[in-house]
Amino acid sequence: MTHSKRKATELHRAAKLYARECREGRLSRREFMTRATALGVTAPAAYGLLGLAAPQARAQTPQMGGSLRMQMDIKAQRDPRTWDWSELSNVCRGWLEYLVSYERDGSIQPVLLESWEANEDATEFTLNIRPGVKWNNGDDLTAEHIAHNFERWCDASVEGNSMAGRMSALSEDGKLREGAVEIVDDLTIRLHLSSPDIAIIVNTADYPAAVVHPSFTGDDPVANPIGTGPYRPVSHNTGIGAVIERNPDHTWWNEGNGAWLDRIEFIDLGTDPAAWMAAAEGGEIDMTYQTTGDFVDLFEMIGMPQSEAITSATIAVRFNQTQAPYDNVNVRRALQMAVNNEIVLELGYNDRGTLAENHHVCPIHPEYAEIPGPVFDPAQARSMIEAEGLAGHEFELISIDDDWQAATCDSVAAQIRAAGINIRRTILPGATFWNDWLNYPFSATEWNMRPLGVQVLNLAYRSGEAWNETGFANAEFDTLLAEANGIADADERREIMAQLQQILLDEGVLIQPYWRSLYRNARPNILNAEMHPTFEVRYQHYGLA
Amino acid sequence: MLFFLARRVGVMLVTALCLTFVVFYLTNIPAKLETLAKTQAGSRISDAEVASWLDRNGYNQPMLVRYGEWLGVARGWTRQLDDGSMTGRCYLLTGTTIPGAAPERCGLVQGHWGNSTRFRAPVAEVIGARLGATGMLMLWVLIVMVPMALIVGVLAGMREGSRTDRTLSTFAIASTATPEYVSGVVFIALLASSTVGLSPLLVSWGWIEGPVLFQGNARSALEGITFWNFALPVMTVALYGMGYVARITRASMTEVMTQQYIRTARLKGVSFPSIVLRHALRNALIAPFTVIMLQIPWLLNGVVIVEVLFSYPGFGWTLFEAAANNDIELLLAASVVAVLVVLVTQLISDIGYVWLNPRIRVT
Repeated sequence: MTHSKRKATELHRAAKLYARECREGRLSRREFMTRATALGVTAPAAYGLLGLAAPQARAQTPQMGGSLRMQMDIKAQRDPRTWDWSELSNVCRGWLEYLVSYERDGSIQPVLLESWEANEDATEFTLNIRPGVKWNNGDDLTAEHIAHNFERWCDASVEGNSMAGRMSALSEDGKLREGAVEIVDDLTIRLHLSSPDIAIIVNTADYPAAVVHPSFTGDDPVANPIGTGPYRPVSHNTGIGAVIERNPDHTWWNEGNGAWLDRIEFIDLGTDPAAWMAAAEGGEIDMTYQTTGDFVDLFEMIGMPQSEAITSATIAVRFNQTQAPYDNVNVRRALQMAVNNEIVLELGYNDRGTLAENHHVCPIHPEYAEIPGPVFDPAQARSMIEAEGLAGHEFELISIDDDWQAATCDSVAAQIRAAGINIRRTILPGATFWNDWLNYPFSATEWNMRPLGVQVLNLAYRSGEAWNETGFANAEFDTLLAEANGIADADERREIMAQLQQILLDEGVLIQPYWRSLYRNARPNILNAEMHPTFEVRYQHYGLA
Repeated sequence: MLFFLARRVGVMLVTALCLTFVVFYLTNIPAKLETLAKTQAGSRISDAEVASWLDRNGYNQPMLVRYGEWLGVARGWTRQLDDGSMTGRCYLLTGTTIPGAAPERCGLVQGHWGNSTRFRAPVAEVIGARLGATGMLMLWVLIVMVPMALIVGVLAGMREGSRTDRTLSTFAIASTATPEYVSGVVFIALLASSTVGLSPLLVSWGWIEGPVLFQGNARSALEGITFWNFALPVMTVALYGMGYVARITRASMTEVMTQQYIRTARLKGVSFPSIVLRHALRNALIAPFTVIMLQIPWLLNGVVIVEVLFSYPGFGWTLFEAAANNDIELLLAASVVAVLVVLVTQLISDIGYVWLNPRIRVT
């Protein structure tokens, strides 16, 4: 690949610091990869800093041709920047590509960009666009097109445009800030951030950040499939399925490194894994989108081996601090204390994950700081609740009717009950649950992973954020977080992170029992289709052995 | 006869009107509209965004006005966009944005069924395609169910109290008493699993090629129906309906067999098969015929469960999806179709009854 030619002397100063930390064992290799590549260091160069050779991307090259049938929900399409489910993006990944991609090893790889560099304090990013990329209508990809996409992402007036929040350092009054995106030449643009934001490049790997052609009107990317990728849609039926085929009229920039399959068929079999199982047994699907719980083993039993992705995806059993009795920190801490996260992991998620510590920062996040974890003391919990005069109060824990989420909440509630505190469980169907997910007094929400620890904190725990479901508003926390957002150096940021994590623990913001590992089952002859930590289905790389 | 038909159609219209209003009311309560906005514009959008979405898409008018819009008696909502083009119910339905190009009213009366928000397609198209799929399922269900039910009923009823009668009656009662969501799951476990039930045995004996005997998922039947992918859903629906019809046939047959003319025929020395086939059968079939017709709307209930269970995208599956996503216009259309099915089958049953039983007249 072209980007491996860059010399080590051009590398970002912080990347070398990270490499030293990694060699000294203070930083895991995975963390190092995320951090170094976020600063624009190419993956092979990053491995080089550690004195390692980059792992071979593919152990086995798939054969050309063949078709694949995959179980996945097919939802009605809409403007990519308003996508709220990864499935929506996965259908379009064959023709809509991204600036960069987040890889299974935690690194950020260039896609439509060839390389990028950050300045010392992460306020200016120079993006070099990959030369020779063509849209499937024959146009060349230019810097103007990319600038147009940044403008789209920053437009907060579009309902449900979640990219606007990710691009806040580039926007002003809900629009792209004047001069925030500078077109240097045909293949170079420069981003001028209003405040340091180390996550800006990582954010463009997120699924709503698909790069669209300037002619795209913002409704249906399947009806109007202009993109840079090697595939095109054949049919798309909401709730039923979608068929994608290789585009014979288009030369892909990455030709020879993918687009093995002739045809990919997504089949929507509803939400019941038993139905997927029946379809797999009848030979109607070759792989699942995501398998959970007992079904991971069941699929394995019928000859579809599992692949696992370790992630920082999680479930947040959170309190809404704006509502009584959860406005009382002692109540929140008491309920936390009544719950042993290990038991929740075992009963709620079949031990298919790693233990979490109630502060929503994961050991795989680069800036994770090790601090003393939560205390489990049911007797103390009971007496704290009594001291607050709530001995007779009946708490209520709400969850969606999803298998593992309901089981997790059941196990949380059972432990609270075992501590001698009254609690009732309520399970709501998906259609009604999401209506009010921000405002339930005590409920559980599924959170997908973000590569950097500060990203989730920015989205969910900063005062007044759109997705702040805990009602947590803490000035000290906000100030520290803003500070952390601009610090590229690991140790420095980790120090602040330790304080942030401690504040979240002290305030008893949520019970966050475990980090989920994600699973997928596929027939053994399918290559490169391992589960991805952010649910990406990059079928342009899938192939048959 | 014409007056009878006209009255029936009138009843049908009034029923459809009442039912659609109830459905409209229930799908338009504020919480439901919020669900709709969230399924359309993003499941995690804020309350302000929900309000703005509802406002921009014409959901902020009084409920009666909106029901009138759907019927086509009230004017459709319109809104001028920033660039001078127009949008609105009728503009969206006719696919134009030029001001004044769209009709004022566009509802049921004008032949517009509206758009499905879940499937992003015209309702008429969605319902048409899905009814076709369910039509195939129901056709096969009737082909399997009716002869089986009649044979079981007649065999059981011709000699009341005999061993055949007791055996067949037990079978019929058991099949009626097993709801579809039980029998469907049992069938899948027994016949469509590679680890339990019959299939692993058959594989080990080398009798079947694939891992399973039947397919526990009927999605592939959409492209081509085969015995192996369609047998389980058909059997699941048919078994449930069969027991009931068989019981009615048996009761009717027993009654006919005690009639004077049957005794007379026997005394005259007519053979037993001849009595059953030529003298008893036609009279015994009057009651089951009505019941079969009335059973069709009931089977549509079962179709919802079976289609979701076997992920076969037909009418029942569409109804389920529409309800789960609060797809207002699709649900309304589905209820109109349901009313049609009920009343048309009743009409056929009434007319057929007259034809089978000369003592009755439609006036």
